[in-house]
Amino acid sequence: MDWFGAEIAAPMVAARAVHLAASAITAGVLIFDATVLAPAPSPVPQAPSIGSQLRRVVWFALAVSVASGLAWFVLQAAAMSGLALSEAIAPDMLQTVLVETQFGQVMLVRLLCVIVLAFCLGLDRIAALQRLALAAALGFVGAIAWTGHAGATAGGEGVVHVAADVLHLWAAAAWTGGLLALVLLLVALGRDPEASSARIVAVRRFSALGLASVGTLLVTGAIHSWILVGSLRLMFVTAYGRLLMVKLALFALMLALATINRLWLAPRLETGATARAAAMLTGTAAIELLLAIAVFAIVGALGTQHPAAHFLNT
Amino acid sequence: MRRSSLIAIAPLLLVLATGAAQAHAFLDHAEPRVGNKVATPPREVTLWFTQKLEPAFSRITVTNAAGERVDSGKTRVSGSQMSVPLRGGGTGTYHVNWHVLSVDTHTTEGNFTFQVGQ
Repeated sequence: MDWFGAEIAAPMVAARAVHLAASAITAGVLIFDATVLAPAPSPVPQAPSIGSQLRRVVWFALAVSVASGLAWFVLQAAAMSGLALSEAIAPDMLQTVLVETQFGQVMLVRLLCVIVLAFCLGLDRIAALQRLALAAALGFVGAIAWTGHAGATAGGEGVVHVAADVLHLWAAAAWTGGLLALVLLLVALGRDPEASSARIVAVRRFSALGLASVGTLLVTGAIHSWILVGSLRLMFVTAYGRLLMVKLALFALMLALATINRLWLAPRLETGATARAAAMLTGTAAIELLLAIAVFAIVGALGTQHPAAHFLNT
Repeated sequence: MRRSSLIAIAPLLLVLATGAAQAHAFLDHAEPRVGNKVATPPREVTLWFTQKLEPAFSRITVTNAAGERVDSGKTRVSGSQMSVPLRGGGTGTYHVNWHVLSVDTHTTEGNFTFQVGQ
């Protein structure tokens, strides 16, 4: 398969894309819960069902990310060993990949995060466990940085690269999962005029979260591109660079929608046509969410490509 | 309009970008040196790469002028360095084939020759 001039291994890209999106949503909904919905001392006066609805979303996203993570692991084992998939799933080969490679060890650490997260979600009445659940989810998502190009960048630059990628992953999770949670919250609140203050508080807080995410994504994305692309010319002549440009274009569309939401729709929640503004806001946030999912599909492919910078030296 | 000012910064940062980092393992140098001539068969071949390697999936094979394997088959990996002991294999052109997996899960491979004796 061919995307924008890049050769794509479809099963691997699909497994990675689904895994990244599901992992981001798992952590992002918990970030939304902690920063928008229920920050002490002033939780959003919410529709009663939204808390348990979001909890079900987290469980579902976690299940999807575990299944797609397993698929990624097996496909990666086959790619590493150069064996056919049917030969690569032999127990000793999987064990070698799991125990002896950095990729496998990182996946093992992430599996531990999943176990801690599932435990905490099961017993989430205890406040300390909610914080531990958030920490486990952040670990689960942040550790992805060590499976990729950043985990292999050498020296001091490597530390900067990994730190930038961890922050990038967290910010992407906060924005994507936050958008999903916001859409679900707005739908749950419906057209109820009495929910107006809940809507206003939630949208205002999500705006702050979104702004922080976007700022982080831009700075850390620029660092990542500086290290892996190397020059503007390589953005155009390499498959990696072209895929990155598609990603940036999708990101720019998301930013445009976010700007409409923030500067035009959000203020209207507090003035006149509240119900109409709320409905439009739900719609644009949902489109933003779809664009975010498309970004994850591109990212799934980017990690399998040779970064553009490598062509500088050949 | 803080968001739009951030949008303006991103391309600027990309334009300023001139870094040339390695993101996959490529051969940096080797001993005996690529294409060089040595007087006697070396006891081992060592390769240095641009990145950390995965020992489980990185290996070197060496053949002599007659096409016979002269490496011990026991490749040792340490960080970004990889070596394999050789048995004596006479004079002539030696072929070194390498196949490495870097820690970012990408494989690269290549080969080179060096001369032994005349």
